[in-house]
Amino acid sequence: MASLVSCPHCGSRPKEEFTVKGAALKRPAPDAGQERWMDYVYLRDNPRGAYEEYWHHTSGCRRWLVVTRDTATHEIADSRDAALGVPETRA
Amino acid sequence: MSKYRLIHRPALSDKQPFNASGIGLTALPEGHVIHVLAEQGADPSAMLKGLAEQGHSVRYAAPGQWYIVGDEPLADDALAALLTRLTPHAEGVDQSHGRVRILARGPMVERVLAKGSGTDLALSAFVVGRSTTTLIGHIAAHITRVEDHAFEIMVLRGFAESLWDDLAQMSAEFAA
Ligand SMILES: [Zn+2]
Repeated sequence: MASLVSCPHCGSRPKEEFTVKGAALKRPAPDAGQERWMDYVYLRDNPRGAYEEYWHHTSGCRRWLVVTRDTATHEIADSRDAALGVPETRA
Repeated sequence: MSKYRLIHRPALSDKQPFNASGIGLTALPEGHVIHVLAEQGADPSAMLKGLAEQGHSVRYAAPGQWYIVGDEPLADDALAALLTRLTPHAEGVDQSHGRVRILARGPMVERVLAKGSGTDLALSAFVVGRSTTTLIGHIAAHITRVEDHAFEIMVLRGFAESLWDDLAQMSAEFAA
């Protein structure tokens, strides 16, 4: 499996053009409490399978993307511009 | 005062252009490069189309971003007039000093660029007038197909010599 990442603006590109930030999680409210914030900042599920991540197309259009990637096969199911919002399901 | 005299010269003035049957490389004149950034929510496409119809070369860069490029340097008043035309849809930033353009032309140009970039540059997928930003080796470059077998490659000035050397090496097998 070649490490290609699809960008909604640029098409299929090698992963070297991108920077991964990590899990695309919903940011808690400022007053959500210390425990929620500890989880948000430090704790990750590390699932085997589908995972939503922020990817930055650093050497391309320089847009932040939310990429739905399978952590076992690297298959990419979806890729969209992060400015369109993070789905509530990952809250 | 500095011990060294500062000499203003084009970034690629030391490079030898070549024009073989397979591929040629030419450093384009360091004229003007204006980075255009749309205001949030604004759609400057009609304004940019008007500029293109008046002879400006407008290159798509990213969502809400374009470059206006040309071989002629812009005098202060011409630059000010152009920046005024962009408002209120967009802002322009003069990058003429910061980005350098290279013309790669020849029937082997896609083969040459394919050695460094993962972008699909087939004529059917990447038509004349289309632009994108991509890595060529380790250097980010903005490429535009300007003819069926010619690309304008724009790169940050500090990377221009390195990219030229890479492109020359990638071209070598077709430039004998
Ligand atoms: Zn992109």
